[in-house]
Amino acid sequence: MKTLVALWRVPSARLALLVLFGVGFLAVFGGALAPHDPLQQYTDEVLQGPSAHHLLGTDYVGRDVLSRLMEGTRLSVVGAVEAVLIGGLLGVPAGLASAWLGPRLEWITLRTSDTLVVLPFTVFAIAVAGTLGNGLQQAMVAIGVLISPVFFRVTRAATLGLRKVQYVEAAELMGATEWWTLRRHIWSKVLPNVAVTAAHATGSALLVVASLAFLGLGVTPPAPTWGGMLSSDLGYLAQQPWAPVFPALLMMATVGSLNLLADAIRDATGATAAPRRRTRPAVAAAAREERPDVVTV
Amino acid sequence: MTTTQERPLTTATTPDPPPLLSVRGLSVSYAPPRKGTHLGTGAALVEADLDIRPGEIVGIVGETGSGKTTLARATVGLVAPAAGTIEFAGEDIGGLRGRARRAFRRSGQVQLVFQDPLRSLDPDLTVADIVREPLDIAGTLSRTERHERVRESLRLVGLEPDEVLQRRPRQLSGGQRQRVSLARAISTRPRLLYCDEPVSALDVSNRNLVLNLLEQLRTELDLAVVIIAHDLSSLAGIADRVAVFYRGRIVEQGPIRAVLEHPAHPYTALLTASAPSIGDEDRLRPDQLKPAPDARVWPADGVCVFAQRCPFAHDACADQPAPAPLPDTPARLAACHDAVTWRDRLSARPHEDRKATP
Amino acid sequence: MSSPSEENPVRTTLEVADLQVSVAGGLVAVQDVSFEIRRGESVGLVGESGSGKTLTCRAILGLLPATGRIDGGRIVLGDGADAVELTGARRSTWDQVRAVRIGAVFQDPASYLNPSLTVGHQLAEQLRVKGSLSRRAAHDRAVELFDEVGLHDPAGVFHQYPHQLSGGMLQRVLIAIAVSCEPELLIADEATTALDVVIQAEILALLRRLRDTHGLSLLLVTHDLAVVAESCDRILVMYGGQVVESGPTDQVLRDPRHPYTQALMGVATIGSWHRRRLDVIPGQPPAAGEEMPGCRFAPRCAHATAACESGPVPVADLGGDRTSRCVLAGHLSLSPRVTTGQEVPA
Repeated sequence: MKTLVALWRVPSARLALLVLFGVGFLAVFGGALAPHDPLQQYTDEVLQGPSAHHLLGTDYVGRDVLSRLMEGTRLSVVGAVEAVLIGGLLGVPAGLASAWLGPRLEWITLRTSDTLVVLPFTVFAIAVAGTLGNGLQQAMVAIGVLISPVFFRVTRAATLGLRKVQYVEAAELMGATEWWTLRRHIWSKVLPNVAVTAAHATGSALLVVASLAFLGLGVTPPAPTWGGMLSSDLGYLAQQPWAPVFPALLMMATVGSLNLLADAIRDATGATAAPRRRTRPAVAAAAREERPDVVTV
Repeated sequence: MTTTQERPLTTATTPDPPPLLSVRGLSVSYAPPRKGTHLGTGAALVEADLDIRPGEIVGIVGETGSGKTTLARATVGLVAPAAGTIEFAGEDIGGLRGRARRAFRRSGQVQLVFQDPLRSLDPDLTVADIVREPLDIAGTLSRTERHERVRESLRLVGLEPDEVLQRRPRQLSGGQRQRVSLARAISTRPRLLYCDEPVSALDVSNRNLVLNLLEQLRTELDLAVVIIAHDLSSLAGIADRVAVFYRGRIVEQGPIRAVLEHPAHPYTALLTASAPSIGDEDRLRPDQLKPAPDARVWPADGVCVFAQRCPFAHDACADQPAPAPLPDTPARLAACHDAVTWRDRLSARPHEDRKATP
Repeated sequence: MSSPSEENPVRTTLEVADLQVSVAGGLVAVQDVSFEIRRGESVGLVGESGSGKTLTCRAILGLLPATGRIDGGRIVLGDGADAVELTGARRSTWDQVRAVRIGAVFQDPASYLNPSLTVGHQLAEQLRVKGSLSRRAAHDRAVELFDEVGLHDPAGVFHQYPHQLSGGMLQRVLIAIAVSCEPELLIADEATTALDVVIQAEILALLRRLRDTHGLSLLLVTHDLAVVAESCDRILVMYGGQVVESGPTDQVLRDPRHPYTQALMGVATIGSWHRRRLDVIPGQPPAAGEEMPGCRFAPRCAHATAACESGPVPVADLGGDRTSRCVLAGHLSLSPRVTTGQEVPA
């Protein structure tokens, strides 16, 4: 909560949060608020420019572009978020365990993550879609597995640094269990790193969902997604050179905001450890320290 | 296990109570020991014998790497001893492992206060959380009892609970942080408290404050306190006994006043002579206690640990002497062949101290 | 500073006059600091952390932190034809001053050495760049210097890396580097604080010896009164950004004329140090930028009166090279023996 308040004070983070809030709103209510049915084909209004009736025009089979964008937000965003959640759920516990629970587990997790890192993103997704069948879920699981090494590495790096920290040693001396130490001392230091990674990863997952949709993978055609719209618009570039701009802009705004947010989180949480806020409270504390103290023995 | 409940105040008036902590022949080696029983140069502590009696303040002095911190870390179980026993209140704690060790730690009878509170206090937690943590881990007290204990502990270290409870370590001054660290350690009502260099990071005005506090806690909580320090001056006003470490060995121990005023080991004498002080004329000068430039060269190992730096070393010093009681005062031990006689050979020769010791 | 010293034939190494330093956007951390260091003299600058002693010596070295600024006053190195004004000096001036005319050693020697070069290389480098010696001559001179600062086997140390040396030896290496260009002034900022007592005593002895053999002036910055007591001719006691007392060491320690100096003596290792009591100065020192119209020590002072807090306290010249920033300095002899007990209302 404090971090959110601190974030809100950073202008770029505020902008990013506003954009993301808008995107989130579209993802939830976009379909309901859309002026037209995104699948409805107005066959006599094919490939029209923006007008009062179709604010962003229509596509090659006469569907309303604005409605498709609004409806498509949900599928694109939900897909990306799902992938990141899967990645985080796989990577973060593995990272904690690898740094915390001894060398054998460390070896296994490190090798697994190395293997995953070597696999090219899109090719792996295509392979998964090929074996498990084409569908949003399959594609997202594939992407999730592929981004889990990022979470793994970030978590592991942050945790490793804390292994020998004195307050962790102090907790050990109090008889704390590993689980207690993780929860009490480690998690709060790892969380900001995970948040930054999650924001970045959501951005790249969005792009991957889009590129998969562009290739015809993941979401099946009539359902609108940003990537799918881009792909179909490209076929009619001669008639509507401006058409790809709308989905592309939306995508850029979202990904850009996520990156801005990631940077802001890093700055805000990093600042709690850096001396920025330190001077004043310390001065006040020093001044308030009681005067008539223990005088002599 | 009596755990964190109040201990009955059973300070019997027997002349010599049994030791609370008894360390016998403790050796710790950081590098793996060589073949056989011989400890390699990685030995951080060699055959240390030390008793801590209830309610006593014992100072441990020595230079960096002399094994004083290792002794503390071995007694609390942060490093495994290579040999020797550690008994706490009659119970062998040196061999505790796993569950048994955790249970002993949770009882909170032995606590360690780290040197730098900024590093040993979690920066993200409030003072309330920090001081309550050992109680939360032990889990023997009820919620309200724990809160009350936290406030009481803070008051004991001279902090006003309402002012500091919600602050974080960075929002406190150095002296306050050290006291929060102390409050955490005493929240379990320990019987033995280790303080690793409790004042070396503090300013002069806070330094004595913390030392006085330790003295006060000792009387109020009937604590035994071990203070690790690299200079004698912070111990001088407070400790009852002192043990002097040099290169992993206890070279001298005894009542502080006797040790400081009349050192029995040449190293202790060098320490007291080197301590900076204002206007103290009647004491030895460091250059009286250093070997002459043309003195015999001693090997680093296999002889008395101090031989290299000792101006009085002779043939007998090729063997490391065991700590032995002084003839007139059996309460004092010194590991020196010439504990009684080196003083007679003190020369007034003032040779400029020229060479650093590696 | 008092004018008589201007006519004095004794030459001045450093003169600091009315120095004002602020940090973090205008918080005054050092105010009206004036002192001078004469040739061959060793001066101790004593104070708690936050007293401004480190900022003062950083200002002299032109190494203020990024937020620090000199707001007023003068710092002049040398006198006569050699005099250089250091306040607002350019980069090129500093290049001719730092490490050449002023050497410095700090608390943590390891962080001032490059871990991937041998210590001998680093000293020789300095000699070649600043002293324009040839490679051969620099090597020989470096070994000579290492020997001079009391390192065993100087030729062997030459080829060692910083991590192979102990803290005390590293400090000796840094001292060798600091004096390599025959500076006029050597500043030691808490240079012995992190060392063991035996090594500390050795380093202090070394600094005293270098002063005698090289004719250096020495500025010893420390929080420990006992350290300066044995090593300095004169001491300056700083408190809350001001010099509150100055004078010849033995006189100041025998008869302190500022209650703070006296309180410091109470908490330092005084007299026969193993029979001391653990006195405490109640309260906390003022923070940088804290506005106080009167004496900055008044809230903690056992002798404070209403007059102390109402207006600025001028520096009283007590004669015999002694000053005190206390209204009582002239009237009251604050004998340490009588008042060390700190009869402060508890």
